[in-house]
Amino acid sequence: MFLLMDSVFQIEGVTRRFGAVEALRGVDLRVEEGERVALIGPSGCGKTTLLKVLGAQLAPDEGSLMVLGKDPQGLDERGLRELRSALAFIPQDLGLVQNTRVIQNVVGGGFGKRSLLGALRDLLLPALEERQRIFELLERVGIAEKMYDRVDSLSGGQQQRVAVARSLYQNPQALLADEPISAVDPARARQLLELLVGLCEEEKLTLVVSMHQLELAREFFPRIVGLKAGEVLFDGAVESLGAEEEKNLYELDSIG
Amino acid sequence: MKAGLRLWTGRRLVVLLALVLFGYCAVHLGPRVMVLGEGADRFSTIKKFLGAAFVPALVDQSPNMPEGAAPFLVRVGEGLVRTFRYAVVAMSLAVPLGIGLGFFGSSAWWPGSVDYGRPKLWRRVVRGGLRVLRWSCRGLIALMRSVHELIWAMFFLSAIGDAPVTACVALALPFAGTLGKVFSELVDEEGQEARSVLMAGGATPLQAFVGVLIPQAFPGLLTYALYRFECALRSSAVLGFIGIETLGLGIRRSFENLYFREVWTQLFVLIIVIVVVDRIGARLRARLNRGVARKQLAGELSEAALRRTAPRDWMMRGAGVFALLLVMLSWNVGAPLANGLTGVRQEERLARFVTKLTPVPARPADRLAGWEERREAWSENQGEVGAWAWALWKKPGAKALGNTVVIATAAVVLAGIGAALLLPLGTRALATAEPFGLMGVASGWRRRIRLWIGSVVRGFFVVARAVPEYVYAFLLVALLGPSAWPLVFALALHNVGILGRLWGEVAENERPEAAGQLARVGASRGQIYLAGLAPTSFNRFLLFFFYRWETCVREATILGMLGISSLGYHISISRNFLRYDQMLFYVLLGAAVIILGDVLSDVLRRRLRLSR
Ligand SMILES: Nc1ncnc2c1ncn2[C@@H]1O[C@H](COP(=O)(O)OP(=O)(O)OP(=O)(O)O)[C@@H](O)[C@H]1O
Ligand SMILES: [Mg+2]
Repeated sequence: MFLLMDSVFQIEGVTRRFGAVEALRGVDLRVEEGERVALIGPSGCGKTTLLKVLGAQLAPDEGSLMVLGKDPQGLDERGLRELRSALAFIPQDLGLVQNTRVIQNVVGGGFGKRSLLGALRDLLLPALEERQRIFELLERVGIAEKMYDRVDSLSGGQQQRVAVARSLYQNPQALLADEPISAVDPARARQLLELLVGLCEEEKLTLVVSMHQLELAREFFPRIVGLKAGEVLFDGAVESLGAEEEKNLYELDSIG
Repeated sequence: MKAGLRLWTGRRLVVLLALVLFGYCAVHLGPRVMVLGEGADRFSTIKKFLGAAFVPALVDQSPNMPEGAAPFLVRVGEGLVRTFRYAVVAMSLAVPLGIGLGFFGSSAWWPGSVDYGRPKLWRRVVRGGLRVLRWSCRGLIALMRSVHELIWAMFFLSAIGDAPVTACVALALPFAGTLGKVFSELVDEEGQEARSVLMAGGATPLQAFVGVLIPQAFPGLLTYALYRFECALRSSAVLGFIGIETLGLGIRRSFENLYFREVWTQLFVLIIVIVVVDRIGARLRARLNRGVARKQLAGELSEAALRRTAPRDWMMRGAGVFALLLVMLSWNVGAPLANGLTGVRQEERLARFVTKLTPVPARPADRLAGWEERREAWSENQGEVGAWAWALWKKPGAKALGNTVVIATAAVVLAGIGAALLLPLGTRALATAEPFGLMGVASGWRRRIRLWIGSVVRGFFVVARAVPEYVYAFLLVALLGPSAWPLVFALALHNVGILGRLWGEVAENERPEAAGQLARVGASRGQIYLAGLAPTSFNRFLLFFFYRWETCVREATILGMLGISSLGYHISISRNFLRYDQMLFYVLLGAAVIILGDVLSDVLRRRLRLSR
């Protein structure tokens, strides 16, 4: 290949099944460094599955997959670990450890680059420079004063910020977020997207986010990928997504 | 809505089935609830016994105590301290053991348990080994749990000798098994999302285990360990009935001397202690779930300042230190735990015990034979062992086992009926003045009566479960006469308390929408219970019901030792005649049923997709 730079994500003809259900059907997608992509589509169309395939968490049944220039299926466990530590993932339910402190959740993001003992140390007696770094991260997401509070004493919006801080602590090259704004009110949703987009611009992160709110997707993401029943129905710049496609995407028959 | 309809029929079917089963058991047990041998004598004893409850003794009832004997209350105090001490020692063994078993009985920390990546050959070998380890741990857990602590105690006392430490070890074994099971379930079921996020970021399963699963499981484990400590106190008291000097021994002696007022004093002491421990546990649990408020941050925001003022639960830490202190004191202060084990011929004793444990046909000629001879004798006479077991099974094994299961089933259904009837009066979900804030404000005295009934019912639940089944059974058999019904009542009484609490918690944790909606359209409390709470909570109710059935079988095995035809009866008879081989046979029969029930309830749980 003469390309100097690999795409961050490059998948071709990817199919993924769960039993009889084809969650993804021959999906092609290429995301370059620093891009911001919104995945939209009705419930059950395969957004979560696609994000997990991109994050090297689910293996495709068919098709080829390159993440940061590597094929996860060809990697051994160590290599896979290394690859994953460069990909941050925020699931829909955030996946926080409820009865521990914010800081103990944030350090979890760094485990990919630590040994078991290192992880234990971070959990129990984090070093001064780590604490400083976490404090600064939390300042950036706006909840520094909660650093030593229990996660379950935080509001839903604050918990989302903890999850964002955890993924930043990972020092990733790409950030995948699954419906980060589906559970918050419109004002919060906008705030959170502003935060995510701002951070990704500063850090030159690639960002792929799934969501249902087309309006917000238009506003914050230059590129939109529309999925329907496991297939890519639309992929292109915001401006080219017309009313016709939009209607097509959310046609009722697709809700199974 | 077809599925909903089918479920509803399913639920009715289950209830109907339980009632039919109870009918069968009742017929099987016969109508003789009370044995009227000596005419009116029994009634007057019962009257005297109940009357004594109002005047518990504060001094010895016996007119001629030996010179220099400690006064009654002092003896009760000593018994209480020993009961407590043995329970603490037992828990200090059971908790680490249970955690170890639970860890190796779980697969959550295994390396390479990711959906992805090519496992190397050595990894696969390691996983194979771990799988073997896991199944052995699970087997060990099942075995330890399926034999009642009292039976373990009887075996150990015979094998090693009469010392408190043997009793403590016996207590610790089934408790460790149960803790191990709960722990492995907690780590396997909870925190899966957080675990997968960390692993998506490159964490290893072991890292995710320490970072997610342990903290996530901790409150549940602590809560459960506290509950187990309460059980340990009860069991420790019951050990008195087989001769260890705890509260149970005092109760038995006083009762046998017909000093009923003394009996009540000791019962009250036991109840108070258990209730206090129960309340402390509830407090700690609530605190653990809620966390503590942080101190006000003065001055500017900085990492150091935040760290300094971080919320720290000193009470919780204090409780931890206190618990450690208790453990240290229990092991080291007072009469040595190993008292009675100092016999020089310890080995001989063990060898004799092993000989007696070997089925008669396969016994070596020499009681103190070496391992080689034992194996020889065994392999020579293996065939006859089968015949021996078959004979025992035919008479009386099968019938005794049947009786045991019938007693347990009748008891648990009875307890279920009782709890289901009392629940709407007792659960905080309904037994408040204004449930769901929707039923209008009750007037003064109505409100007070509601609340009063609620606390009385909850108080009844607490007291009912505070007294161990064995103590109830001992008293009821003595008062009503030797039949199976007193055992049924004893088991039922204790389990009404437990089911009342467990079901009550389920109802209180239920999301209030369905029931609240009913309240909004003007349903009465009874209607809300029947149409709102009971159906939505039914699966969880059922799960606890099965869990209690299992424990009832275990317990019914023991209660037979009070002289009622069931496994326990034959166990105690064979023990009295030092026929340990037969005793072992009966114990294993009971264990087999319990393991079977265990497997069934596991399947059921997976079907209902519910955790405990
Ligand atoms: N682990 C799984 N096991 C079985 N089926 C699954 C699994 N994960 C996803 N599916 C199925 O794959 C399809 C796509 O699911 P996916 O979660 O990717 O949809 P989604 O677009 O994220 O939906 P939503 O907007 O509701 O989150 C669905 O039909 C779903 O039922
Ligand atoms: Mg989804």
